[in-house]
Amino acid sequence: MNNKILLTAILLVVCGAILFLWPSDEKKIRGKFASLAEYSSTEQAEPVLETMKKAAQAAKLCTEPCLIHVESLKIDREFSQKELNERFLMMKKRLPDTEFKFHDIVVDIAGDDRAEVTTTLRIVGTIVDEQITDAYEIDITAEKRDGDWLFSSFTVVEFMKK
Amino acid sequence: MLPTPIHRFLFPSLDKRFLIRLFLVAIACYLIFGHLLLPLRVQGLSMEPTYHDRSFAFCWRLQYLFSPPERFDVVTVRYSGRTVMLLKRIVALQGDTVEFRKGMLYVNGKLIEEPYVRHRSAWELPPRTVAPGHVYVVGDNRGTPMAQHRFGEVNLNRIVGGVIP
Repeated sequence: MNNKILLTAILLVVCGAILFLWPSDEKKIRGKFASLAEYSSTEQAEPVLETMKKAAQAAKLCTEPCLIHVESLKIDREFSQKELNERFLMMKKRLPDTEFKFHDIVVDIAGDDRAEVTTTLRIVGTIVDEQITDAYEIDITAEKRDGDWLFSSFTVVEFMKK
Repeated sequence: MLPTPIHRFLFPSLDKRFLIRLFLVAIACYLIFGHLLLPLRVQGLSMEPTYHDRSFAFCWRLQYLFSPPERFDVVTVRYSGRTVMLLKRIVALQGDTVEFRKGMLYVNGKLIEEPYVRHRSAWELPPRTVAPGHVYVVGDNRGTPMAQHRFGEVNLNRIVGGVIP
């Protein structure tokens, strides 16, 4: 009897582990968010070459072109990878000691090669010895191109109207 | 040598009864602190001096189960989930008209006394009426320029709960 219970428990753990480790599109998309957060974050006294490399890697996570919509900044247009690279570089120079992190990622796979994602971007860091904390809700579209998931649009959700 | 009850508390025997108790405590903690009484770590200055940067509070999710939010309640406003939330004070309800004149809050044309506000900038905001199903939330720290302070009309479905203490 005890052996049966033990066997069932082991079987359940093994099944759980397989399910947990099984690669899926959702996990791949979540992985891309982890990469985007890592490349967007800038460590204190980060070497210039490293900053440039990270900015280029962040831009490569997006499609060519990529639609960006931020109502409060009146941005609503497509950006080329070159432009995105420049923007990432500019942002990293402006925020030299900042950590980007995505929270509450909700992935809705709407077909074989398209997914809608809603997430919260949290930015924590220091600018000229002053602590900054900011957060944005972002709707993101991801597209599968040649087997790789890339971000094709970013829309900042402005749920609070002054 | 420790007295027996303390010794038993610190070094429990791993019997069936203890494991069941541990399981129940874990489930209760998960339900209470994961869904009902959410621990909050305050980051930022937007609710100074009521809530200080790096202080702790709790979000009581059942506060608005049977009654709608009221004016002057401090509430949490969610983003895409409950991991990151804004801490704000409700200053106007649906149908109210809100405006700021020289940093003073006016609701329905009447000046509102706000004893919780210590730092005030000369905010100027023309009157606007709060839409149905919405409330108007503002932080207590009005010392920052209006453009840098996140406030405004927010849908009631974004309110996660009240804040205690």
